[in-house]
Amino acid sequence: MRLDVQLRAREDVPRWLAYGTPVFTVLAALAVSALAFLALNVSPIAAYEAMFVTTLTTELGITQTINKAAPLILAGLAVYLPLRAQLWNIGAEGQLLIGAAAGTWVGLNVSMPAMALLPLMFVVGGLAGAAWTLVPAWLRVRWGINEIITTLLLTFVAVDVKSYLVRGPMQAEFGFFPQTDSLPTDATLPTLFGFDFYAGILAAVAFVALTYLLINETRFGYQITFVGSNDEAAEQAGMNKYRIYLFVMLAGGALAGLAGITEIAGVQGRLRAEWDPGYGWTAIPIALLGRNGALQVMLAAIFFAVIFVGGSSVGVALSVPAAIIDVIQALIILFLITAEFFKRYHVDISIRRPDGPAAPTPEGEV
Amino acid sequence: MAEDPFLRMEGIRKEFPGVVANDHVDLSVRRGEVHGLLGENGAGKSTLMKILYGLYSADEGDIYLDGEVLDLDSPQDAIDAGIGMVHQHFMLIQRLSVARNVVLGMREPSKSFRDGADAGGLLASVGENGLVRSLAERFTLGLDEPEAKIRRLAEEYGFDVDVGAEVWELDVGEQQRVEILKALYRDVDLLILDEPTAVLTPNEAERLFETLRKLTDEGLSIIFITHKLKEVKAITDRVTVLRDGKDVGTVETADVTRSELARMMVGREVLFQLEKDAVSTGAPVLEAEGVRADDQRGIEALSGIDLTVHEGEIVGVAGVSGNGQKELAETMVGVRESTAGTISVNGADMSGDSPRAFIDAGVSFVPEDRHQYGCAGDLPVMHNAAMKEFDDERFGGVRFDYDALEEYAEELVEEFDVRGVHDVTDAVADDLSGGNLQKLILAREIARDPDLLVANQPTRGVDVGAIEFLRERLLEQRKQGTGILLLSENLDEIFDLSDRILVVYEGEIVYETTPAAADRERIGLEMNGGAESESAQPEAVADGGRPVDDGSSASDPVGRRGPE
Repeated sequence: MRLDVQLRAREDVPRWLAYGTPVFTVLAALAVSALAFLALNVSPIAAYEAMFVTTLTTELGITQTINKAAPLILAGLAVYLPLRAQLWNIGAEGQLLIGAAAGTWVGLNVSMPAMALLPLMFVVGGLAGAAWTLVPAWLRVRWGINEIITTLLLTFVAVDVKSYLVRGPMQAEFGFFPQTDSLPTDATLPTLFGFDFYAGILAAVAFVALTYLLINETRFGYQITFVGSNDEAAEQAGMNKYRIYLFVMLAGGALAGLAGITEIAGVQGRLRAEWDPGYGWTAIPIALLGRNGALQVMLAAIFFAVIFVGGSSVGVALSVPAAIIDVIQALIILFLITAEFFKRYHVDISIRRPDGPAAPTPEGEV
Repeated sequence: MAEDPFLRMEGIRKEFPGVVANDHVDLSVRRGEVHGLLGENGAGKSTLMKILYGLYSADEGDIYLDGEVLDLDSPQDAIDAGIGMVHQHFMLIQRLSVARNVVLGMREPSKSFRDGADAGGLLASVGENGLVRSLAERFTLGLDEPEAKIRRLAEEYGFDVDVGAEVWELDVGEQQRVEILKALYRDVDLLILDEPTAVLTPNEAERLFETLRKLTDEGLSIIFITHKLKEVKAITDRVTVLRDGKDVGTVETADVTRSELARMMVGREVLFQLEKDAVSTGAPVLEAEGVRADDQRGIEALSGIDLTVHEGEIVGVAGVSGNGQKELAETMVGVRESTAGTISVNGADMSGDSPRAFIDAGVSFVPEDRHQYGCAGDLPVMHNAAMKEFDDERFGGVRFDYDALEEYAEELVEEFDVRGVHDVTDAVADDLSGGNLQKLILAREIARDPDLLVANQPTRGVDVGAIEFLRERLLEQRKQGTGILLLSENLDEIFDLSDRILVVYEGEIVYETTPAAADRERIGLEMNGGAESESAQPEAVADGGRPVDDGSSASDPVGRRGPE
């Protein structure tokens, strides 16, 4: 008996498959991650229970999830928006660090009432993030230089800039640690409605709504979508694709910068050298899972927030290395890529007996 | 007819979500005949052939080859059964030689490892060793025998193809012959040709027909897919007509007229003679003087174009593919920058202006490549319908009015009879057949009531019914006073529609005439570089459609042609 696998190109992608992909991807990644738990002698059921059920049923779990979700949503949008125009902002992490540093500087050096100071910090953080994409955006528009490479490489520059700042100009006056002073109370986000989570989530949700409206309701959004689908046709239609490229890149950088300052003004309270959030990297699978729309980006970001929060409590409760989160994240990316394959091909699996003809293949989906 | 048909397909049915592509189609092909398969785009011809070639499996129905049931799961099964297919887009690897392309997937081990071969210095025991053999079969390539076989085949059927040449050096007609050789090399008895003339010049097509006649004389059966009636009459013995996935019937080609075939195919009368009313031409809408432009690679493609298009006039530009038509069309609508000269629209100098400025000045454009430039394939029909009008205030201000867009798209789809769109918000441009997509694009461009319409190959790859419709629309637009610059490789189209005819050759307008005064032969000559080339090398014109008196042509196919 032998397994006979045949591939056929799909004539078209069924709707359920196109929209169900993110769900299947996540389920597949969790199923394979179960093997990692088994290898650690931990019951995957107990682990996933601790990861999801406990996180989402305790007040602390929910609070932490919301606090994590805020920067993840913003960073996810930072990758999603350029992706609508078929540009890849791989360097959201760098824009996020620069936005965080610029916003922190304002918080430490400008004294104003909180009502004015916090918005100013966010504006400056956003502008700094946008400025960090200015060069990649310009290179892309003017010379067609691949933005994947330029945004990625500028991230490493950003890491060093942040590191220099907290060891140099921005280092706390009376301290030996490479970190800034704590932000004054006026420069930190308040918590909301008597709960323990910060107001950053409001900004994140507001930007989800704005992005949704931009893409789905405005004339400019129509053009972004069109350029993303076929930039050559868009040019012939008289759309200015360079203006669109410039806009989505700068807006993406701004969103990443906002993600950075949200985290600093909320959870962190100060900028530290060892602060290395990685949200800008996680933003890539978030944007890919949520590529169908801004609301989907938000859901994907919340999912990753749960994994991060749940992952660390699993780590503590069941003595599992925290790297398990990276495993899940990596598997999600792998399965996302695999899903593209299954969208394109139809796989027939049949069992062939050694002496007989192939068993008739049912027209089953994969 | 006492003899059994060589191939029988019976009651073939294939359903795709929402469409029955083949609805109980029967097809029988005799040995040694050229059997036409005729139908409009989307009639189900390709589906039927993909089933026969093992690419799709039929939902119902049986296939018999030489009286035996065929069970086809893959093209390999089809090839094993002796069925070959030449696709419209060639499946050749440009960087490999003709011989390597032909043997691809059927390698012979190098000479020393072949059965019964002289071991060529190798120890016989090494050559016979099972492991060595299996490695050799996988990793060595012997081209001597295959090359000899290819040469033999080429000679037998009168192909002059250089087996050592790399594919990129060959012109389109030669590449097609390589595809046919590939099939012959695999000893096929039945050859499927999918719209083989779509890429050929008329001369090359004539040559292909000669080849096909030789093949059928040798007992090969050929299925010839087409939507061109002229070709059906010219080459086929019998023809099966499909319409909307249904089998309309099979007839002896000699017994039917072109109009009868057209009626079978379209389901109604088709007018071959277009009504062309006299229209008085007005002021010039497009004036180009000394326009030069480069192609994609930065090589000069237009070398000083002068032309004028007046209101209510169709100016036809004839020429062999690749003589600057694409660049000419793009430059006249502002998509491609000119390097010299002036372009005026309605009297205003627009040289160097953006595509948007041209659009706003009332210039519409039907690009030659519908998918690359004419639409956003994965966006809904409605997005594509407003591609040029998205700035119009009827679609709202900053907020884009998608309801108005939907309504507008529905109107266009209705008015231009774009089929296959159940919902303009859902069906994407890539779902439309070539003809219907072209209708949508022309609808979009005409609905703006332009002053100037530049149409590059507007009916290429489009079926008869749609061609008629598109041409009528162009004439109607001419009546409305639009000046039209029509670029086409189809001389009939140029003759039927144009008020004036220009011939473009190597980036220059080399000849001007009117349909009434025109002499087709003269135009054919001018398209190929003027009178001398014909007397010098008539054969070369027939082969490649490119001039041979031009010494600068680096890939001159004549220089190295011929079996050595």
